[in-house]
Amino acid sequence: MYDEALQDRRFERELAQIETRLTDLGIAGKIARLALFREPIELIRDEIRGGVTTVVAVGNDMTLRRVIDAVQDRKTVVALLPVGPQGAMTSLLGMPSGVAACDVLSARIVEELDVGEVNGKRFIQSAHIEGTDFTVHYGKQYTMKPMRKASLEVRNFAAPDDAGTQSPVDGRLSLIIRLPKFSLFGSKTDISIVPFEEIFVTCEKTITAKVDGDSLQGKDFSFRVIPKALRLVTGKARKF
Amino acid sequence: MAKGTGPETIIAFGVRLEGDLVAEGDLVIEGEVHGTIKTKGDLRIGDQALVEANIEAANAVVSGEIRGNIIVHGKLELFPSSKVTGDVVTDILAIGPGAQVNGNISMGAEVTKGKKRTESVDAS
Repeated sequence: MYDEALQDRRFERELAQIETRLTDLGIAGKIARLALFREPIELIRDEIRGGVTTVVAVGNDMTLRRVIDAVQDRKTVVALLPVGPQGAMTSLLGMPSGVAACDVLSARIVEELDVGEVNGKRFIQSAHIEGTDFTVHYGKQYTMKPMRKASLEVRNFAAPDDAGTQSPVDGRLSLIIRLPKFSLFGSKTDISIVPFEEIFVTCEKTITAKVDGDSLQGKDFSFRVIPKALRLVTGKARKF
Repeated sequence: MAKGTGPETIIAFGVRLEGDLVAEGDLVIEGEVHGTIKTKGDLRIGDQALVEANIEAANAVVSGEIRGNIIVHGKLELFPSSKVTGDVVTDILAIGPGAQVNGNISMGAEVTKGKKRTESVDAS
């Protein structure tokens, strides 16, 4: 599945090299191209029904995301073949960019990754809600509320940062609440981290959440983890 | 200190939690908790924390304020800034100068085991 951005002439040579290398490695398949108004969901699902067992997203994080939206079963293997400007997934999955990724594809190290879900929308990396008043409900056990406006992130898979590391193979998501704090000596952020399998977040007003880069409007958000929902090809340099 | 089996949970300053906080891993409380706290791992209560809860943990280090009973199966360390209003049951206790405890203190491995057994019988 080629990203629409790869129609640009500057990628022609790299794509030709990739196709040659794949042929040398004995990897054959059907090529489909994404386009602005062409949704890949039906196309990919038709191919899977027709017997396709591996779908390769050629492009970047967004290409991979569109492929994952279409692949809802736990049998089909998905892979990212990075070409062009990249986001975080390339390094997280340990996939080298361009032709070098063909050899990683050929090695076929398949990992079963957890996927996050918010209001029925799936995500691999994270979902963000910025600067608002909200309450977190952890089943009937407890509620949690920041005492002033804070940002909320629900994370499945991310590079190590101020909120530590999150593994996409532990069967949990992480709730991260960031509260900025200002004083005479500068500013810092207090970070709460709660691992969970299922939570419900209610906001004071309708807001826009960012789910792996896509917008999702709502007032109430139901988050849950779907363990081992995705079979993904990874490289040896993967970050988990 | 022994580590719990699950991932670490952190409740930072400025966050208020109400209800029963049960964790498999270590717990760090810097904010407010009202309810109960139970972890198989270690517990750290920071100097800005306010905890109105009954607590059970493997080991605990306390710098903040606790209003509730505490059961610690291993070692409980009360730092000089800590203030505890409630009964304390622990195997090993270390109290810094200036730490306040207003309640009964019971110590020794047998006491913590007995406390756990009594609570299990009560629960059933």
